[in-house]
Amino acid sequence: MFKDLDPILHSQLRLAVISLLITVKEAEFTFIKEKTGATAGNLSVQVNKLKEAGYIDVLKQFKDNYPQTICKITSKGIDAFEEYVKNLQSYLHK
Amino acid sequence: MNTEKSNFTEKDSLALITEMIGKAKDSYHDTGIAAIMWGSVIAFCSLVKISELHFNYKLPFDIFLLTFLAVIPQLLLSHKERKKQNVRTYNQVALDYTWTAFGIAIFLMVFVTNAVFAKLGAFNEVYISSTGKQDYFRFSEFTAALFLIIYGLPTFITGAVMKFRPMLLGGIVCWVASIACLFTPVKVDLLLTAIATIIAWLIPGIILYKKHLQRKAAIPAHV
Repeated sequence: MFKDLDPILHSQLRLAVISLLITVKEAEFTFIKEKTGATAGNLSVQVNKLKEAGYIDVLKQFKDNYPQTICKITSKGIDAFEEYVKNLQSYLHK
Repeated sequence: MNTEKSNFTEKDSLALITEMIGKAKDSYHDTGIAAIMWGSVIAFCSLVKISELHFNYKLPFDIFLLTFLAVIPQLLLSHKERKKQNVRTYNQVALDYTWTAFGIAIFLMVFVTNAVFAKLGAFNEVYISSTGKQDYFRFSEFTAALFLIIYGLPTFITGAVMKFRPMLLGGIVCWVASIACLFTPVKVDLLLTAIATIIAWLIPGIILYKKHLQRKAAIPAHV
């Protein structure tokens, strides 16, 4: 019996964002954009979806008079990612 | 990057996770400037101290006070580097705490060794006056060994965490030097300290700085 993969995470860009954030303590929006190669608009939409799901925290502040967006994975996000990888493994071993 | 789900298979997911984790892991690089600075400062202070002892002169201040002055550029450097970074890795956080703990430990060591010196001074005076012997216990013979033990600790951890062999070996060199100090006079202790800090910090720092410059050159300039 295979569990359905989490639809929030089973999307290329959202999964890329979560995979980056699980490895680091926190990352700026610019870092995620640079590593995923996504456009700012598309990334912004996907980041918001992850935030609404409670998988990441988004902190908006100013750094040297420029807006800065910092993203950080939450414990709910870590659990969801672990569950996703576990389900993924069961699919791959079928 | 495409956000569509339709053609995104389980194998693609796994490949993407692996790729992104690899990219994130490779996101922190030390510039090596702090290591170069501290390696130079401690080696310089040790060599000046050797010359003081060898040529029998005394500076109006303790040359090792330079290390306290070096904290100022270190703080400015850390602040500048942190401002440039757009990501903070777990390794970075662990190393920041390790080196902060090292700084505190060094400060406490200076404080404690000075307190021990003050106590022993009075004790040794009584010993000399009552026995007439000059071969009293010289605590200064052992301080270099104690400091080298502490120098080795964060260096070894940094080398292991960053998987950077020159620093890992540098940490071991500090510990070997600390044992050697037990069998050598103060002048040689200071020479061992200078050599150990050059091997543990200055040389790895230069290697890191060269790598940093290579990475910088590889990034195309924005027009």
